[in-house]
Amino acid sequence: MSVQSPPEPGTEELPATALYCYGIMAAKAAKAQPAAGLGGETVEVVECGELAALVSAVPPGTVRARRRDLMTHFDVLGKAFERGTVLPLRFGIVFDDEAVLLDEFLRPRHDELVELLRELDGRVELRVNAHYREDAILAEAIRESPRIAQLREATRGAAAGHPAMLELGELVSAEVQARTARDTRALLERLGPLAHRYELDEEPIAYQLLRGSFLVERKQTEAFDRALEEFASDNAGRVDVKLVGPLPPHSFVELSHGGRR
Amino acid sequence: MAIATQGTASNYLQRAPSPSGLADVVDLILDKGLVIDAYIRIAVIGIELITIDARIVIASVDTYLRFAEAVNRLDLTQTEAAGLAELRDGGGNGGGDKAKGVFEGVKEKVSGKD
Repeated sequence: MSVQSPPEPGTEELPATALYCYGIMAAKAAKAQPAAGLGGETVEVVECGELAALVSAVPPGTVRARRRDLMTHFDVLGKAFERGTVLPLRFGIVFDDEAVLLDEFLRPRHDELVELLRELDGRVELRVNAHYREDAILAEAIRESPRIAQLREATRGAAAGHPAMLELGELVSAEVQARTARDTRALLERLGPLAHRYELDEEPIAYQLLRGSFLVERKQTEAFDRALEEFASDNAGRVDVKLVGPLPPHSFVELSHGGRR
Repeated sequence: MAIATQGTASNYLQRAPSPSGLADVVDLILDKGLVIDAYIRIAVIGIELITIDARIVIASVDTYLRFAEAVNRLDLTQTEAAGLAELRDGGGNGGGDKAKGVFEGVKEKVSGKD
């Protein structure tokens, strides 16, 4: 599964005291936040011991996953990240009021959150997206597998439903998968040593070589960039590679229990 | 804070400081990030943007047929010419649509009203 919609869409009205929460950071880094929150509401800081939650009032109605709101959530975290380590919350988490935020989240989880902040200090998330170019990868499959080339000749211009089509497709699929496994391994051999850890998105997507997030020391980002650049250069014309970041560590914030992944 | 984009770096790698497309943002903030225990209200409605469609299962008869059709459509002489042109230009189209073709558009089927 990929995108998990929250289980119970909040169709009921939220109380006027409700607070939308973007993320958590160290209180000493949190101060006034420059970004505007959902619906233009001011982003405020709720402190608890060493921690600060970045929150805003919820705009009238409920929170909707509109494009603008998703971007706002992301932007608030991005701005905060310029000032210090931040633990991003998933989109759409709302507390009934400040007391609930403090009593049911910040206080009971205080030490764990502080520890997580410490662990992520000085580290950034880099997202890597590598895809084959369809024409290039298919051409490789045809050139390097005589059986594929042969079946292709046999079925070209044939009526749909030609029995050899299935065998052809299966062979191409297997060939693409074998290449994916090989190239992914090669890419991870380059990137793995430069990352503290990484999380790969596992859902199979057509022609995807690798999509995932790497937790990297900030001072290692240039080396990471170079390694990926080398891979992109070595595979020019057959693989498109994209690097996004540095981002707050969205993919590396998990609490010991109670997290739903 | 930007990653080095100058100096010896060429343009084989497409770089962005933050996700450019909605689909990438969705990946990051609906799929990842801290989730708190169930008793906290999760107040999202209107998630019409499930990207499940993009998750094509590689091993299915339907997919095999699509692969077969794709290789049959492929013009090998043209791929070679295109590859050469790309090398001359320094490679990479710099952005936008990846994995087009047979599975065109599946990923960007993400909606958002504004």
